[in-house]
Amino acid sequence: MNRELHCHITQFLTRETYLLDHRKYEEWLDMLADDIVYRMPMRVTKEAKDGPNLVEEMTFFEETKKSLTTRVNRLRTSSAWVDNPAPRQRHFITNILVEQGSQPNEWQVRSCFLFMRSRGSDIDVEQLFGERLDVIRNANEEWKIASRTIYPDQAVLGVMNLSMFL
Amino acid sequence: MSRNRLNEKTFQTLKQKMAEGLLPQWVVTDPEIYELELEEIFGHTWQFLAHESELKEPGSYVTRWMVNDPVLLVKTNSGELKAFLNSCTHRGSHLCTADAGNRKTFTCAYHGWSYNLEGDLIGIVAGDKVYGQEMKKDEWSLRRIPKIGIYQGMIFGNLDPKAMPLEEYLGDMKWYFDMLLGRSDGGMEVRGVPQRWVAHANWKMTSENFAADPYHVQTTHRSTVELGISPKDPLYAGYGHQVVLGHGHGINVITSATGRSAYRFQGLPESMWPMFERNLCPEQVDILSRTTVFVGGVFPNLSFVSPIHGTEGHLHNYLNFRVWRPLGPEKVEVWCWFMIDKAAPEEYKEEAYKGYIGSFGPSGTLEQDDTEIWARIVQASRGIMARDKELSYNNLCNYLMGFDRVEPDNTFPGPGIAYPTCYLDALSRSMHEYWLELLTRDLSGAE
Ligand code: FES
Ligand SMILES: [Fe+2]
Repeated sequence: MNRELHCHITQFLTRETYLLDHRKYEEWLDMLADDIVYRMPMRVTKEAKDGPNLVEEMTFFEETKKSLTTRVNRLRTSSAWVDNPAPRQRHFITNILVEQGSQPNEWQVRSCFLFMRSRGSDIDVEQLFGERLDVIRNANEEWKIASRTIYPDQAVLGVMNLSMFL
Repeated sequence: MSRNRLNEKTFQTLKQKMAEGLLPQWVVTDPEIYELELEEIFGHTWQFLAHESELKEPGSYVTRWMVNDPVLLVKTNSGELKAFLNSCTHRGSHLCTADAGNRKTFTCAYHGWSYNLEGDLIGIVAGDKVYGQEMKKDEWSLRRIPKIGIYQGMIFGNLDPKAMPLEEYLGDMKWYFDMLLGRSDGGMEVRGVPQRWVAHANWKMTSENFAADPYHVQTTHRSTVELGISPKDPLYAGYGHQVVLGHGHGINVITSATGRSAYRFQGLPESMWPMFERNLCPEQVDILSRTTVFVGGVFPNLSFVSPIHGTEGHLHNYLNFRVWRPLGPEKVEVWCWFMIDKAAPEEYKEEAYKGYIGSFGPSGTLEQDDTEIWARIVQASRGIMARDKELSYNNLCNYLMGFDRVEPDNTFPGPGIAYPTCYLDALSRSMHEYWLELLTRDLSGAE
């Protein structure tokens, strides 16, 4: 994988992080392909013999661009109380691994995320961490997220809701 | 602050205030009350463990919690369900640490004792060489959860060997469970596994919020009104009946201003309607056909909601059950099961699941704001003024809605005491009255 491409994709994800942390959700939506599949399966605790400890059948997010847009619109109302007053949030994205995707203009990108949030004057910090598997597409000179699967590492989420995007 | 300790007088005051429709705010997160609740309420009431569809084959198991008691629920070779304390009888180690799976035996990681699906101790490492007369294997089986009961596929456990039978405890709730869980051939099924997350909340308030409080919908969930997803009429969640059942249980049957729903049978496919008519009595069919949302609860910490919701413009029905597992006076672990009629078309199930993810569960556009509100309750209930047991600061919560004014509607076709509105505190009051009755059982025995 050439260095320039890796740099490009890393920059792209860093910009995304910036938009999310600053609640520039409309600009964030523009980074998503119209046919995006955005999902967050569940992590469970399984015995080693039972294979990967992920459940795809039940999820925390099962979204299309339309439903993500509805979520963003909701956060823009005056009564989305989780965001009014808004908690502070940071996404930390690391360990970015880029591989060729199934299409010539698509790349499979794995990354680790750490999401931290501080609400009101709470001393306790909410956090969520895990891995993302993205398909990032380059179409007409533009980069878009074509799909995202978010795998949390917690079987019991350490956040009181998922009002954020990961 | 000995004057602020629990004593006989405190409970007398509680009783008196509750008779006036007032709940002292100090009870919300009081640590002493919390300890008492664990013993007197969670030690004696029926708690939901799992739905039968989660345990399909012999050897299937799930691990659950009854507050702090770890529970291992297994399906034996004969197809029977058995529940044990998930703790090895040797030194008490947590026996099975997975959430679910399938096994013939459970072996402890500490010294290797193993148990079969019946809970019998069947293997002791080096047994004959290290134990002699002192070991009588059959005395060291896994400890049974004293009682388990199943109703309409819902499996409950009870830690009190003397507890009343589950069916008696559920009482009139059975009739509504029959309608919700038994309307379809084959009943309901759980999709995947329950979602789990942690809310900053007190279990009483989350139970009350779900089971008994349609009044909050218009404000807490106003964002959906602003979006045009929910109706503008501030009374919309209040139309219908609030039904108070025994033992702190109850259900809200939310219809509309006309008493009918725009979506017959909650918008379930028409092909399913004859099945409902076959499985239910005419009164249940009547209620089911014209209700938009059912929301209610089984005391102490099981709630349910059966709404119609969708993410892409078309609406679907589903059934969501949840357990509020207390993790402390200000914390609950939420367990959330998505259930759907086994007999529904696969396509419908898929759409209903998406509707659920969009509305309830931790990411739900409705539920997100509930969690925020729950946190605001505990946050404002820990100070000296809120906590004062002598009520010198008038630290009382208001449960006066409809008090002494709204009379039951005797024409309602279902059992229970049905009031002709869901904007009412009758069910909340009955939950808290039962709560107090259980807390003071020993005291009143002494009187
Ligand atoms: S504690 Fe389980 S075998 Fe010793
Ligand atoms: Fe709510």
